Amino acid sequence: MRGRGRRRSTALLAVAVAMVTLAFGLAACGGDTVGGGNQDEVTTAKGGPVSGQLTISNWPGYMDPGPNNTIAKFEKTTGVSVDYIEDVNENESFFGKMQPLLKEGESGGRSIFVVTDWMAKQMYDLGFLQEIDHADLPTVFENMRPQLESPAFDPGRKFSVPWGSGMGGLWVDTAKAPEIRSVNDLFDPKSKGKRTMLGELREPVPLVMLAEGIDPVEATNDDWLNAIDRIGEAAESGQIRRFTGNDYTEDLTAGNIVGAIGWSGDASIIENPNAEWRMPTEGCSLWSDNMVIPVGAPNVGAAFGWMDFIYQPEVNAPLAEYITYIPPVEGVQDLVKPELAKDPLVFPSPKFTAKCTDQDSPPDIEPVNEAWQEVITG
Amino acid sequence: MSLRQRLVPYWLLGPGLLWLIIFFVVPMYFMGELALRSGSLTTGYTFDWAWANFPDSLSGHTEQIGRSFFYAGTATILALLIGYPLAYAIAFRAGRYRTLLLFAVIAPFFTTYLIRTIAWKTILSDSSPLVSVLQTLSLVPPDGRVLATSGAVIAGLTYNFLPFMILPLYANLERLDLSLVEAAKDLYSSSRQAFLRVTLPLTMPGIVAGVLLTFIPAFGDYINAQLLGGTQQAMVGNVIQSLYLNQRDYPEAAALSFLMMALILGIVSLYIRFAGTGAFMGGDEEEAT
Repeated sequence: MRGRGRRRSTALLAVAVAMVTLAFGLAACGGDTVGGGNQDEVTTAKGGPVSGQLTISNWPGYMDPGPNNTIAKFEKTTGVSVDYIEDVNENESFFGKMQPLLKEGESGGRSIFVVTDWMAKQMYDLGFLQEIDHADLPTVFENMRPQLESPAFDPGRKFSVPWGSGMGGLWVDTAKAPEIRSVNDLFDPKSKGKRTMLGELREPVPLVMLAEGIDPVEATNDDWLNAIDRIGEAAESGQIRRFTGNDYTEDLTAGNIVGAIGWSGDASIIENPNAEWRMPTEGCSLWSDNMVIPVGAPNVGAAFGWMDFIYQPEVNAPLAEYITYIPPVEGVQDLVKPELAKDPLVFPSPKFTAKCTDQDSPPDIEPVNEAWQEVITG
Repeated sequence: MSLRQRLVPYWLLGPGLLWLIIFFVVPMYFMGELALRSGSLTTGYTFDWAWANFPDSLSGHTEQIGRSFFYAGTATILALLIGYPLAYAIAFRAGRYRTLLLFAVIAPFFTTYLIRTIAWKTILSDSSPLVSVLQTLSLVPPDGRVLATSGAVIAGLTYNFLPFMILPLYANLERLDLSLVEAAKDLYSSSRQAFLRVTLPLTMPGIVAGVLLTFIPAFGDYINAQLLGGTQQAMVGNVIQSLYLNQRDYPEAAALSFLMMALILGIVSLYIRFAGTGAFMGGDEEEAT
């Protein structure tokens, strides 16, 4: 019995191997590819009536809560029913999740994504976004803050509409580490292991370059790699405790850290009275999260309606009060609570951000990203 | 046996087989095919028998693989050391509290895994009461910490997979015929001898099952390292995640996943053979002969 059993299983194995080989062979003939884009066929999004159903993917913390919030107002005004999903936690992983769909020309039912500048550009370059005709968005382009009208990643705003802007800089526990004022101070062995950095390549690495006197926009690949090396050494020595996403705010609240690279609008989620966002002496990084229209987006008319709706200052003001990032709409400053209107982190003067740099990608992303991921997964 | 009767086992096998084909064989095929592609994100990945992905995926990641072994192994041993006495106590000493205690073992599953791990971040945070106690007892240096260390990751793994160790052990111990232990004692063996020569060998199947159920998921886990670890605690799961979602080197990620699967399969086969548990694979052998 045993011998026969073994023979039979050998035969089965042979059949299986043959089938797998055949299957792979067929795949090779098919020659289809995974990933990659279709740059040649950029389309312009076509508007339509503002009605029906609208699905939006946005970051957590970007929408005021409550039964009478901005979404409810939009639904009431237009009759559109909104499915608002907070599934963008990180640009990279959101892209990783959507890429297989976008490749097929689908957006997973979503009409709007909200992604950061460089990710919007990456998606556009891969042919995953539709262009926007300014005539379809009269309110948006009338009320947009002039500084946002023509960013380097999207001159003339062909495919992106800012949702909000923020600054990358230093979060400091002023009671425990009042001396931290520059990104260089994070490398000071004092209170070792009590500092964190963001895990998104384009936030800590350019800030470290700035601190070394290198302009990140002009930086070469070697500049990026050198800065990554410096961070890597600090991680290995235990100087840097963790690489975080938004969860550095928890570490600050719990008192686990005294200094972090973090975002200017996070004050509302840090429950530590001594925590303070500081503009690094050498400057900050400036970025926007942008609404974009992916390929295959259904109901573009409602998406345009939404964009125009939130670009009305009186609609955007309560949203700005909740989000506490920099609103993209001109005139909001006069409509919010006076203490917020005076907050330089929400309404920064050009002087305040004079030394800041636009968030950018390295010249050749692949080796830089690989080196960075090696540091992150040390 | 009529033909119909002979077909019955295959009919019974059907649903499970179908499930495995749809959710295991098909995804495995796609992953295997993906692992043999080459290219880049911008140009797209094309299938061209790129076997080099396999050695490539190992290079630079041996440290994390070794770390995964160490963490998962330590967590498994700890879970066994904690779980065996506990399962023993529940099986033989709990009396009417047995159901309650078993419930207590399973209770954590009513909260999701992620929330439980995040809760440990609070429990182990630098200024938490637990860490102060450990510092007072000099188990942690005064300026030291628990969170964001290897210890925290191992503790998290042990905690999260402990029920997978306890339940098979309990199921096995519960069936243990205590009269055999009694007989050993009647034959003048000490309690220790009775345990080592009767109880332990008879519960070996439970130990093997518990060790496998703990070690395999712990090896591939990345949540504990991500939430409880620091910069030098990444496990192989974190590397695969980074390859997939951050570097989007899908072929290399798939290749590394395959290699880890093969590695685990190899180790498990060796372990089962080494542990020599006729009882564990018993059903199989009886059928074969």
